[in-house]
Amino acid sequence: MKTTIIPLGPQHPVLPEPLSFDLVLDNERVIEAIPSIGFIHRGLELLAPKRDFEEFVMIAERICGICSFMHGMGYCSAVEDVMALPVPRRALQLRVILAELSRVHSHLLWLGLAADAFGFENLFMQTWRLREDVLDIFEETTGGRVIFNIVKVGGMRKDVDDATLARIAAKLESIKPQLKQITDVFLNDYTVRNRLAGLAVLSGAQARELCVVGPMLRASGVAEDQRTRSPMYAGLDWEVVTEPDGDCYSRCRVRVREIFQSINLISQVAGKMAADGVAVKAAGAPNGEAFFRAEQPRGEVVYYVRGNGTRFLERFRVRTPTFANVPAVIKLLKGVELADVPTIILTIDPCISCMER
Amino acid sequence: MTMDITQLAPQELPARVSELAGAGARLVQISAVALPVTAAGETPAVELTYSFDKNGALSHQRLLAAPGGKVPSVSGVYFPAFLYENEIHEQFGVDFEGMAVDFKGTLYKTAVRVPFAVAAPVKKTPPPANPGEPQAK
Repeated sequence: MKTTIIPLGPQHPVLPEPLSFDLVLDNERVIEAIPSIGFIHRGLELLAPKRDFEEFVMIAERICGICSFMHGMGYCSAVEDVMALPVPRRALQLRVILAELSRVHSHLLWLGLAADAFGFENLFMQTWRLREDVLDIFEETTGGRVIFNIVKVGGMRKDVDDATLARIAAKLESIKPQLKQITDVFLNDYTVRNRLAGLAVLSGAQARELCVVGPMLRASGVAEDQRTRSPMYAGLDWEVVTEPDGDCYSRCRVRVREIFQSINLISQVAGKMAADGVAVKAAGAPNGEAFFRAEQPRGEVVYYVRGNGTRFLERFRVRTPTFANVPAVIKLLKGVELADVPTIILTIDPCISCMER
Repeated sequence: MTMDITQLAPQELPARVSELAGAGARLVQISAVALPVTAAGETPAVELTYSFDKNGALSHQRLLAAPGGKVPSVSGVYFPAFLYENEIHEQFGVDFEGMAVDFKGTLYKTAVRVPFAVAAPVKKTPPPANPGEPQAK
């Protein structure tokens, strides 16, 4: 059998960040995909032993420009676990609101990229136009649109008053009709559905075997979401979004449904804010170790911190959702047509900045 | 906080991981920590932690990779492990035997060889309990 090797990436129109695959082809069919990363590896974890643990949150936020709040929150939560800090309930509620806003803007970003990838440029533009509304909320509450610097070890750097939170919830409710109009296209348009349905199917059993996480796992019918185990989400009315088919269309459906669910969660939290302050002082220094798991927009993320009683951590490590999902792509790409490869890679919502750190 | 950690010898790892896979546990992550060295220039031992999720509960298998020693790869049981193992090999210099995909040290293409293995500070000798007494070795 005569094979051809086609390099895909690291620069490619559908890839927002550099990732490369050597695709071994038999005619147009992929028989092997070999990934290659390392184009934006920065070694940020190596800075942990060189920075004060309270200042390191600013580096943690810079792991990625899309999940920046989630990285700051995850790092702080892991350190708080080691130090057994009693973080005020209001701070945890503010974290939930900002985390869910992050999910809305991340999923809208992905939907826009997906629309652009399958050639629906007007849909891409409209999706990102709505995402701007979410970024405006971030700017109003934190001062930043990409890096927020609002979370700290022990709670939050600043409060957001109840009136502002109510206005934010109302604003999000008001954009729901526009969101529905746009997401209906993703879910019902013939060409979109034809492009995604039945493509790169991952069964629930395969998803578990390949240890995938996040919307990719839930699109295979597995109801797993770290938020179900988080005390921050206790008492809120929500359930894990799943889809049964495991194909690219299901991954799209999960993200669409999660956008509306996140808006509902924000409305619920904003309506019952506690009034016990937003931070406690992080007295002393972390001594011990902890693993902390959270549900980022792309899936489960794991933070590991180890302190030695000084203000400099001995080790900080992040296992990001893309790191967990890339091995599954290698399996998914086997047997598919070359023309489908970019779409399939995109449906895992790869974040290479997170993956390489 | 309490963590469910089981200490293992490297040769016990494959059997333990197969047992966990058979029980339906998911490999969550593999992490490495370079342990503090006692003298500058010394190669640190690396502590490896394999984390598994079973019904939402997190448990960890921990072992020590001695300098120059080899650790069996678990990518035959959990395919995604190859990515963690390649990263740890490149960052900490730990050799894994039998990786499903071996990048041979070119995953991140770092300019500095095994950059994380020299990160841990030199462990300081504790000061004498009473001034005038010789320092503890």
